[in-house]
Amino acid sequence: MIFTTQDIQKTFKTGEVAEEILKGIDLSLTEGEITALVGASGSGKSTLLTIAAGLQAASGGEIHFDGGELTAMNQEQIRKIRAQSFGFVFQSPHLVPFLTAEEQLLLMLETAGSPLSKKQRREEVDKMLHSVGMAHRKTAYPASLSGGEKQRVAIARAIVHQPKLLFADEPTASLDSTKSHEVMGLLQQLTKTLNIATLMVTHEEDMLAYADRVITMKDGRFA
Amino acid sequence: MNLAWKEMKKSNTKFVILGSIVFLISLLTFIISGLANGLSQDNAALIKNLPDGTIYMETAAEETHALSAIDTDTEKQVLMENDGAFAFSIQMGFLLNEQDGQQSVAFATSTGSAEFPDVAKGDIILDRSLEEDGIKQGDIFNNSQLEDEFTVAGFTDGAKYSHAAVAFIHPDDYADMYRTEQMQMLFVPETAQPRTVSGLQSFSTEEFLNTLPSYSAEQLSLSMIVWFLVVISGMLFAIFFYMMNIQKLGLYGILKAIGVKTGALFRMIWTQMLVITAIALILSIAISQLFGRVAPSDMPFHLPVDATLQLTAVFFIIGFFGATLSGLQIRKATPLQAIQQGEESA
Repeated sequence: MIFTTQDIQKTFKTGEVAEEILKGIDLSLTEGEITALVGASGSGKSTLLTIAAGLQAASGGEIHFDGGELTAMNQEQIRKIRAQSFGFVFQSPHLVPFLTAEEQLLLMLETAGSPLSKKQRREEVDKMLHSVGMAHRKTAYPASLSGGEKQRVAIARAIVHQPKLLFADEPTASLDSTKSHEVMGLLQQLTKTLNIATLMVTHEEDMLAYADRVITMKDGRFA
Repeated sequence: MNLAWKEMKKSNTKFVILGSIVFLISLLTFIISGLANGLSQDNAALIKNLPDGTIYMETAAEETHALSAIDTDTEKQVLMENDGAFAFSIQMGFLLNEQDGQQSVAFATSTGSAEFPDVAKGDIILDRSLEEDGIKQGDIFNNSQLEDEFTVAGFTDGAKYSHAAVAFIHPDDYADMYRTEQMQMLFVPETAQPRTVSGLQSFSTEEFLNTLPSYSAEQLSLSMIVWFLVVISGMLFAIFFYMMNIQKLGLYGILKAIGVKTGALFRMIWTQMLVITAIALILSIAISQLFGRVAPSDMPFHLPVDATLQLTAVFFIIGFFGATLSGLQIRKATPLQAIQQGEESA
């Protein structure tokens, strides 16, 4: 297990009212596997994903990753882990509008502090774009890419620095059925070949076929 | 990766528009400042162009130089004791040409100094602005207070006083015109500690300028106009940089989510601010200097290097302040917030 959580809790306070979103979650992720979180809206699946990814703090519990305790780290230490060991695919591609597809990936390598030389980085980027079928569009800016192409570039950016964990928050929500299957096939293939532990939130039942493990959430707990 | 430059290259229209606004605001400030300084020079260039030193006038004159008359023995003693010191007088008056055309001037004379041109008796040296008005070397002028005539012997630059051209004349001619052998003022250069001279009051150049009836009131109004403009321009600068960066909060949040350091985002903001401000200011300075050269002589324009540098520094500081202010908002923005905002708008 590269990633585990113990008794994760999350409470949001609105004035005097406290709402418990996560009620003691124990989760473990394994390399080479896609774990899918499913559940109704408000069940807490996206909150769990963002806490696991270090994008927001838990109200209680522990998160362990690669021998370290994420919940005991400061913001800078978490940022470093996000940059070097985590990859993110969001519902929207969230590409940087003024960078080409190639530059999006080069920025990720630079942010992760890749030890590769400039030439090696370019080669790595070419290889990654080729693996997501976007090598022919490497000089294109996001504005000239289709929705599916943008999400492919976003996936390539998420894994170009060879993260150990990939977080995917409804990665196919903005795509049509054909493109959704293409993207999920790609995520499955990359998870296996690069031995990444992938945690995915989805509400599309069709996409569960690509997951190795499906966890259903209800009212802040695993059902 | 130079994110700042890449964004400016890709979104060049947005940055050109922002740069144009900064350019127009700074150009307006430079031009108004140049005109204000020009008026100031037009009022007192004769005194402003003096080197650092101390001006003395009679204490009994109560800071009105036209009423000052320095005792000749005191004058001789001060001039003897101080190298480079000289006595001088300034009186407003007028010149009449052979066709009875009248020209207002400030008559100035001195006991001999590097700052005032040497003039022979009967000759007159005028500010160059009068040459542009058609007066030529050798032209003859007279004055109702002088029996003899004045012959224009030449022209000199930067000799304006009380918005009139200065006419340098020989001390004997001055004495004949104003029926006095006594000079109004003494100038002692580079006196670190102005020494006390009995019966005389000492002034720095700036203090002396403030004794001129119209000068301080005029300068106060002009300074207020210029600094009011600088403050408004500065606020516009800061607001534009702030707005530009706040609009990109979502982008900065995503960059933070993937691990880009907040420091790198600050460098991006500062680089863009510096490039835009530098280009806009270079253009503004160039055009305002060009304006100074082509502006008609009736429109005094004077934008010296120190005033230009001062305004430039103010603009950079305010631009930096505006950019940093937005940077602080970006520092506060959480990656999650940015992602959720993006999702909502997607």
